[in-house]
Amino acid sequence: MRPNMTRPGISDTLRTISNRIAAFFHRNRLDRDLDAELRSHIAHAIDENMAHGMSRSEARIAALRSFGGVTQTRETYRIRRGLPLFDQIARDFRYGWRQLVRAPGFALTAILTLALGLGANTAVFSLINALLLRPLPVPHAAELAIIQVEESNSDGPSYSLNEPELRALEKRHDAFSSTSAFFSTKFQLHGTSGSLQVPGQLVSGEYFATMQVAPLLGRYLAPADDVENGGPAGYAAVISENFWRTWFNSSPNAVGSKLIVANAPFTVVGVMPRGFFGADPTRHPSIFVPLSSEPVVDAPFNMIASGWSGNWLNLIARRKPFISLAQANAALQAETSAILLDSHPNAFALDDIRTNHLHFVAESGAKGFTYLRADFRKPLMVVFSLCGGVLLLACLNLASLLLARAAARERELATRLAIGATRLRLIRQLLIESLLIALLGTAAGLAVSPLVSNALAVLLLSRNPDAALDTSLDARVFVFAALIAVLSSILIGLLPALRATSGNLNEQIKSGSQARSRRDSRRLLPRLVMGTQVALALMLVTGAGLLAASLTRLYRTNLGFDPKGLVHLQLDMDKQPLAGDALLRWYQQFGEALSHQPGVQGVSFEWGVPLSGSGMTTYYRNQPKNHEQLLYGNDVAPGYFAAMRVPMLGGRDFRWDDTSAAGRKVILNQAAANLFFPGRSAVGQSIYTYDNKITLQVIAVVGNVHYRSIQAEPPPTAYYPISQTFYATSDNGPPEPLKKSYFAVIRLAGPPAAFAATARNLAARMAPEIPAPAMTSMTAQIDESISSERMMAMLAAFFGLCALLVTAIGLYGTLAYATSRRTSEIGIRIALGAQRTHVVRLVFRENAWVAVTGCLAGLIATLFASRALASILYSTSTHDPLILFASVASLMAVASAASLMPAIRAARIEPMEALRAE
Amino acid sequence: MGDSKSDVLQGTLDLMVLKTLEAMGPLHGYGIARRIEQVSGDTLTLNQGTIYPALLRLEQRGWVKAEWGMSESNRRAKYYSLTRPGRKQIESETENWERIAATMARFLAPSN
Repeated sequence: MRPNMTRPGISDTLRTISNRIAAFFHRNRLDRDLDAELRSHIAHAIDENMAHGMSRSEARIAALRSFGGVTQTRETYRIRRGLPLFDQIARDFRYGWRQLVRAPGFALTAILTLALGLGANTAVFSLINALLLRPLPVPHAAELAIIQVEESNSDGPSYSLNEPELRALEKRHDAFSSTSAFFSTKFQLHGTSGSLQVPGQLVSGEYFATMQVAPLLGRYLAPADDVENGGPAGYAAVISENFWRTWFNSSPNAVGSKLIVANAPFTVVGVMPRGFFGADPTRHPSIFVPLSSEPVVDAPFNMIASGWSGNWLNLIARRKPFISLAQANAALQAETSAILLDSHPNAFALDDIRTNHLHFVAESGAKGFTYLRADFRKPLMVVFSLCGGVLLLACLNLASLLLARAAARERELATRLAIGATRLRLIRQLLIESLLIALLGTAAGLAVSPLVSNALAVLLLSRNPDAALDTSLDARVFVFAALIAVLSSILIGLLPALRATSGNLNEQIKSGSQARSRRDSRRLLPRLVMGTQVALALMLVTGAGLLAASLTRLYRTNLGFDPKGLVHLQLDMDKQPLAGDALLRWYQQFGEALSHQPGVQGVSFEWGVPLSGSGMTTYYRNQPKNHEQLLYGNDVAPGYFAAMRVPMLGGRDFRWDDTSAAGRKVILNQAAANLFFPGRSAVGQSIYTYDNKITLQVIAVVGNVHYRSIQAEPPPTAYYPISQTFYATSDNGPPEPLKKSYFAVIRLAGPPAAFAATARNLAARMAPEIPAPAMTSMTAQIDESISSERMMAMLAAFFGLCALLVTAIGLYGTLAYATSRRTSEIGIRIALGAQRTHVVRLVFRENAWVAVTGCLAGLIATLFASRALASILYSTSTHDPLILFASVASLMAVASAASLMPAIRAARIEPMEALRAE
Repeated sequence: MGDSKSDVLQGTLDLMVLKTLEAMGPLHGYGIARRIEQVSGDTLTLNQGTIYPALLRLEQRGWVKAEWGMSESNRRAKYYSLTRPGRKQIESETENWERIAATMARFLAPSN
């Protein structure tokens, strides 16, 4: 039992704490109060003593004696009153701030390097968060599952399913309470002033039931809406809160009103709440319509009609509670044959199961689904590791600078230890200094990171203009930023703090600044830190070099055509009156008119622009009985190969009079010709469609063109004359005239800007109904097709430069500190006759050792780490000797420059001044 | 701070202060210190300053309250007075102290 009787209850304790906290914030007033009270006490005591006959001074001395220590009382009282730890920490922060202000150059360097490291990390993390981490904002997102198809004969899972598969899956409710499909596209919305495009989504009946987000107004779409013609009241639609605000001015009458999408009426039945965007986190549809309306809104396409051969839908389902993902997968596996038989012609279904082991797989859908994830996971991870490297480098750099600075403060700290400060107290204070740097750096980094992440998102999404990444700073990003800020401040501060407070203080005070006795063991640590920094910098510089080399090689790749001076005009012919032969003649006349414009060297038309991501493929045989081969296809007009500068290797070009009546013609590229007619001339031969219905005569062979991507081998390609594409053949009835949209391909000699206006005017005159054609240059198309490679290379180059700069600052800073502390030693050496060049060598040697060993270690680490880059490098070895050599050379050059400056300054030391200063 | 010796002292000091206030009514720090010195006679040497942390502790627990006033010698002084919980506390502390004193007395009584 403690004899202390004043054991307080819980409420007493709480009151004490709240009193203390209040006191913490009223320190100054309370201090004055206490002083007044103590003065009053002494005054009363003096009064009494004088009343007993003492003189004033005797009375005063007696009063103070019986009081005890006034200062001690005040200190005990203060500790008792406030939050001593808080008080001390606040004092440490103020002290740390003064230390920073005293060395503004150091402070600015420190804060900027950290801001760079932390800002870049936060920016990239917010991209990763947006794309890979953030769950969908729907109830119980963990129950969601994405359904995909795996086949043994394809490279990976396919996330695109067809409509019959959806309908077959939708019927089954063993594992999933609901199963739904969605497809994002642009809707042509009829407004008061013409039509405009709005982002939209086609969704199947159970989509909203899967999302489980209650509508803000009205109801959401149900299976009854997802039927042909949309049920008795026509098609229904649900709109987003944002669209409701802008289009309907937040009117409650929006529900029930009509929207005209692609010339068809849709009745708005509900408004979804703000923040709901559906299952694709990169899309924010304004209008959701039933999947069954696809032939209407998607015209002239009709994916539903393409049935089991059209894979276009993403599937998202909600697991029943208590059904695990594994159980759901087992259920899917068990039903695969039934589902396939429901959705495919029997022969195909059985073939797929037996030979291709096709089966449906459910994976977690908590984060929804976007194709971008697969595209950008790797580039983002590469960039993230680069950022991590830069941050680590920044921290090591600051640690080494602080080590050097702490060495300069050894005497101050030793003195404080000697007069009674505890080591913990000093460590805390030094850590708070580094925390202050980290906090300021994080604040600066956080301020710029939204700009950086937006810029990166734009760069990444240049090929996906309809997609958007929500890179806003949410709780996860802030936690991440706070975490790395704290980690870096510990990394920065702990080592120097431990080091600086471990010294033998007696020796420290005795020996003064010329103490050199413990040099070897004491200097190993800073050297180790600097060496690690050099090694890390080398890794970053080499990584940047490899990515840059890979990018250069991408640009230098012979694409099979000449991209310089090539532009494309997108002609959108859906909504104009001409069709069939009339439209073909229009193309010919338009091409003729374009070719007479100044600076135009060649004009043609094509369906698919190289590297644009669009493509069609068809199976052909070289003999009716032989096995079929897949050919990439493109419709082209006469003069295409000349305009593109694709070499003609034999045969003749298409002509405008190569109509279907004159027999179907095809031009093959060399890869296709080798595939079908190895070792003999393909010109004059025939190829057959997989169903043997159509025979095409090969009239020429041309060079290979990289259609898919720069990295991929040019696909075996078949070119069809556009003069044979303007009619749809049907088994029963006459051929139907089509409104085909093509790109005009133009080779320009002059600047494209002037030509753009000319082309727009010409199109407006010759086809007033079509939208103004958008012009893109082939070089821009190439840039877009390798946007993630460009992003990686640009960031890596930037980080590499930063790494060089930061390392230079580190090497310079630490050596300058160390040298300034050796001023007297060097002064004596010079006084004793040391050559100035010898002094330069002496100082320079300190860093040379660090730089060389750091480089060696870095080189070894690089050889291992660069393997991670292997899969994203294009025809560049991770051990490319030139890159490795250049990286080492640049790092050594920077290190030498940074070390030479302090060395030269040391050589200029005047011995007399140096000794007098001591 | 806070080793067991001063705890004992603090505990007794707290009760002395409370009892003084109970007996004398509102009183300033110097008055309390003098009163304790007078009551204890020569048996206790008190550093008068130690009374202030004790007063603060009692105030933080809500057992005494303080306000500025004028003393008999016409000086500004801070007057402390018991609160209602403070009065209740005296009872329980007195009991507690008596129990300890009795226990100690039994240990210290001559035995054979």
